[in-house]
Amino acid sequence: MHQITGQPGSLPRRRFLQLSGLSGIGLLLGGCGSTLFAEKVGETFEPLNQRLEILLFKPQTPVPEFSPSAIEPDALLVNTFGETPRLNPATFRLIIDGEVNNPLTISMVELRQMPLTSMIIRHVCVEGWAAVVQWGGVRLPDLMRLVQPKNSARYVYFESADGYSESWDLASALHPQTLMAYQKNGQPLPVENGAPLRLASPIKLGYKQSKWVTRITLVNELMPSRGYWEDRGYDWYAGL
Amino acid sequence: MTSTAKRARRQPAPKQATLAKIFHWLNIIGLLLMITSGLQIYNANPVFGGRGGWSFPDLFLLGGGLANGRHWHFAAMWLFSLNLLGLGIYIFTTQRWKQRFVSSGDLKALRVSQNQKRKTYSWHRLVYTAIIPILLLAVLSGIGMYKPAQFPWIVGMFGSWQALRIVHFITVPTVAVFTLVHSLLGLKVGGQRLLRSIFW
Repeated sequence: MHQITGQPGSLPRRRFLQLSGLSGIGLLLGGCGSTLFAEKVGETFEPLNQRLEILLFKPQTPVPEFSPSAIEPDALLVNTFGETPRLNPATFRLIIDGEVNNPLTISMVELRQMPLTSMIIRHVCVEGWAAVVQWGGVRLPDLMRLVQPKNSARYVYFESADGYSESWDLASALHPQTLMAYQKNGQPLPVENGAPLRLASPIKLGYKQSKWVTRITLVNELMPSRGYWEDRGYDWYAGL
Repeated sequence: MTSTAKRARRQPAPKQATLAKIFHWLNIIGLLLMITSGLQIYNANPVFGGRGGWSFPDLFLLGGGLANGRHWHFAAMWLFSLNLLGLGIYIFTTQRWKQRFVSSGDLKALRVSQNQKRKTYSWHRLVYTAIIPILLLAVLSGIGMYKPAQFPWIVGMFGSWQALRIVHFITVPTVAVFTLVHSLLGLKVGGQRLLRSIFW
């Protein structure tokens, strides 16, 4: 047995001081000064965590999928930063350009003629919620084969009709489950979910999965703007 | 020689290994950072109630917003989890787990002992031993939520995404209650001197 030396009379004040010291640290950390400090923390640890994320990421290994009964139709919440753009699918064109050998402009009709891939995956939002969703569409790697990225291409920018933008690492864009989707849960993609065409993937957080995508541009280096939420402090890699 | 005589009558002050003190301090700091940044993340979409669910007041939050809360959480995770790993290596290489954590003798004392002091001591050891698997569970459920595509089996273990979130969150009230009970039991077992010995 170890020491059993009670001094019951002397406990309250010292304990009180210790507890108030601890809560003082909490107040300090929770105070407004910590926002600036938090950005420093992010700048310091994001590169380290990104290296770990890239290390864990298996570029060509599909993430296990779910059965149709696991689909949660009501769980997928709609997050949009601005207006919902109404695009006419008949005149819609997806542009793929930048560091590619064959820049491409492709219509919905042509996209629908390409092989349709369906997947039932978990869509995970940065806010913490998740939903099992079925997405159907064209695999982005299939589109990449058409445009033939140059060897120098390292990143992919996605431009949306509502002004939203995102950038991805090329390896994630070439993952077999990275889709340009036009179906959700077996139905044509609803406009609030990104019709006529959106990104869908099990390997990135929801904010990486742009809706209403109109242009895909391959680049060598990231531009000053790395994406809507990234420019507002969120992590860029955002891998799952 | 009154001072020597006086010292001889008093029991020696409890002593803690320096490494034990370091692990204890780093665990407190790590948990404080993980909990406050974790509650910041929680508020973005409360586990209970979703959007519109009850959220935690600013006093308990760290980062000022989801993006910075995440930065803090994914920075402090290294301190918290590597400290736990270090503690694990330490208690197994030094065999401390045999002497310093709850034993069958403690469980027996809790059942049959008439000595209240002995029972309190066993409760103390049981409680601080029991928090370790809870902290490990927080790490496991955290990895499952951080990298569900790379570790789908972790999410599978918990059954559903919501169950995973609940288990991860439950760490917070558990640690809060633990801190209170652990402090009170420590005081009851060894008073101020025991308390001081683990900090300084």
